[in-house]
Amino acid sequence: MASLLILSPLVLLAALGAVWMARPVHAALLLALALALNAVLYLAMGADFIGLVQFAVYVGAVAVLIVFSLLITRQSDETEEIARRPKALVPGLLCTLPVLAVLLITASKVPAASDEAPALPLKKLGEILFTTHAPAVLAVAVLLTAVLIGAALFARETKPNDP
Amino acid sequence: MNPLALLLTLSSVMFALGLLAVLTRRNAILILVGIELMLNAANINFIAFWRYGPPDLEMAGPIFVLFSIAIAAAEAAVGLAIILMVFRLRRTTDLNQLDSLHG
Repeated sequence: MASLLILSPLVLLAALGAVWMARPVHAALLLALALALNAVLYLAMGADFIGLVQFAVYVGAVAVLIVFSLLITRQSDETEEIARRPKALVPGLLCTLPVLAVLLITASKVPAASDEAPALPLKKLGEILFTTHAPAVLAVAVLLTAVLIGAALFARETKPNDP
Repeated sequence: MNPLALLLTLSSVMFALGLLAVLTRRNAILILVGIELMLNAANINFIAFWRYGPPDLEMAGPIFVLFSIAIAAAEAAVGLAIILMVFRLRRTTDLNQLDSLHG
């Protein structure tokens, strides 16, 4: 519980920075920090395997991919100022605050937490994953293959007069 | 404080931050950053309910998070590939300037 109390504000601060920072690279690096802290949060909750997967996939792949894309698409005018654009911030907050209010009201109504910590045995996780959820695993495999081909197609260099 | 309520509050605020980023950012890549934040907020909920909710022998929470992470990674890869292609065609990732479908 103490670790959650320490970690939660840190995650929120990093996420706030990712939303607020004017420079895209700073925002992306703070996103990586938020995702890493998130992984630590999973470890603190006892979901070891999920925390490690979060580290590997989110911090190792997604965040790095985002930073690389920012570097590739770099422009001369690269600051992006939310704070100085009330025109975007006001409608944004008008849409966000009601959603936040509903979520917080719902969150405050949860029943008391059960104290017994569930175990996450890897062997059982693997058994359930590849028996009960085998169709879903296959579907994800097909999806990832399609993504691999699609991303390669999109990112391929095309000649100007190529159809 | 109830740890489950604490985690749900954390994920609510994180989801709202992601939504704010999606609604206010102009750079398409930074909108993807907001989407990643929202996906993570949902994942926190799954793990929180698995850890502090009623006992769950089938480990539905962690398994859902595993699939969610795989799909989020796929979404980021395709999204960034599309953004890179748009950048190569239009030399910008500013969504306000990508208005050729604007009537």
